Amino acid sequence: MLTSEAPLIVYVDVKSPYAFVAIRPTLALEAELGLQFDWRPLTLDIPSYLGSAEKKKGKVVASKGRSQRTWNAIRYSYRDARRYAERQGLVLKGTEKIWDSTLPNIGILWVMQTSRDRLGAYFEAVYPPFWRRELDIEDISVVENCLVEAGVDTTGFAAFADGAGRALHDELQPQFHPNGIYGVPTYVLGDDILFGREHLPYVRWALSGRVGSPPDIAYEIA
Amino acid sequence: MLTVYLDFKSPAAYLAMTPTLALIERLGFETQWKPFRTVERDVPKLGKEETVGESHRRVRAASQRALAIKYAKHQGIDLRFPENLGASDLALGALAAVDGDRLPYIQAAFHAYWQDHADLDDPQVVEGLIRQSCAQMTTDLKQVRDLLEAAQDQAEEGGIVGAPAYVIADQIFVGREHLPWIEEIASAL
Repeated sequence: MLTSEAPLIVYVDVKSPYAFVAIRPTLALEAELGLQFDWRPLTLDIPSYLGSAEKKKGKVVASKGRSQRTWNAIRYSYRDARRYAERQGLVLKGTEKIWDSTLPNIGILWVMQTSRDRLGAYFEAVYPPFWRRELDIEDISVVENCLVEAGVDTTGFAAFADGAGRALHDELQPQFHPNGIYGVPTYVLGDDILFGREHLPYVRWALSGRVGSPPDIAYEIA
Repeated sequence: MLTVYLDFKSPAAYLAMTPTLALIERLGFETQWKPFRTVERDVPKLGKEETVGESHRRVRAASQRALAIKYAKHQGIDLRFPENLGASDLALGALAAVDGDRLPYIQAAFHAYWQDHADLDDPQVVEGLIRQSCAQMTTDLKQVRDLLEAAQDQAEEGGIVGAPAYVIADQIFVGREHLPWIEEIASAL
């Protein structure tokens, strides 16, 4: 699972705010190094480890399995991701429920197989509007529209999403924990499994010939 | 003014010390050091029948530990986790009672925990740290647990959720990965 011909595997999930703010910096690093990373979806099962919640008009209307400490940490995480998104000129609104991101994540597999050069455009078509609360990512026609907007041919996508793509997506899910992967973004660099975009300085250093001392973790700012 | 919250048993706080001190030296910034009790967990053992949540927590804890060890090596630190993570409450409470420069006490406490695996909830150990760092205390060691509880409540009400946490210009940052932004803010003040 963790082998690839690419120098780096990147796992992302459309419903993750951490992945959202990591997309542009990771694409920028890919371009800077002149490499092609192996992007893959990891559809997080958030309620299994963070409990679940539903909000309406900004108010929590249902919550299960979340302590006050967990809520405080989640609120901080969203605030933190939001301010970094704003630095990128992006809007990040807290989601009103935990979405099933399977379809747009299968979309990543589709783009990787059919139109690799449009992957950045697909991310731009999905991530920013989803985080502005403008997309129902559980609706296949919405995901198809994103593919079209990104310049990706959607002929066969519906069958892929229901068949081979779905199977590939589902096969990946139970393999994450045994391979040491639990969240997104995760960067797999040889034997290193690095969770979080704070590792991008290390990834750059490693993929640039490991010259000088390895850098510490950091959220790089423009 | 930069405020830094830390817990001696937090590997993230320990590994943040060198880059944080380098930043403070570069900027010549006045810094306030405060205690914040974090929840540190052992890596759970692999269960025969794990829920997805239990598996997630085990894998996350193992990954965080492996990454801490990896980046510690970059700093020349051989990071060894104690078999029993223990508590650091007494040492953190004492930190709240150190008058004047708290840095020598902080460095002594981090060293004691991570190099000697000392019990930072033991009065004899903490008294030794106070003596070793020549710290002047505002109160008796018997009173400092109450100081920690008050400091913890105040920090949590203020939005602190972990350590190391930095507060600068009314913004809270948890983790040393934010140092570039903190430096940007500090440079503009």
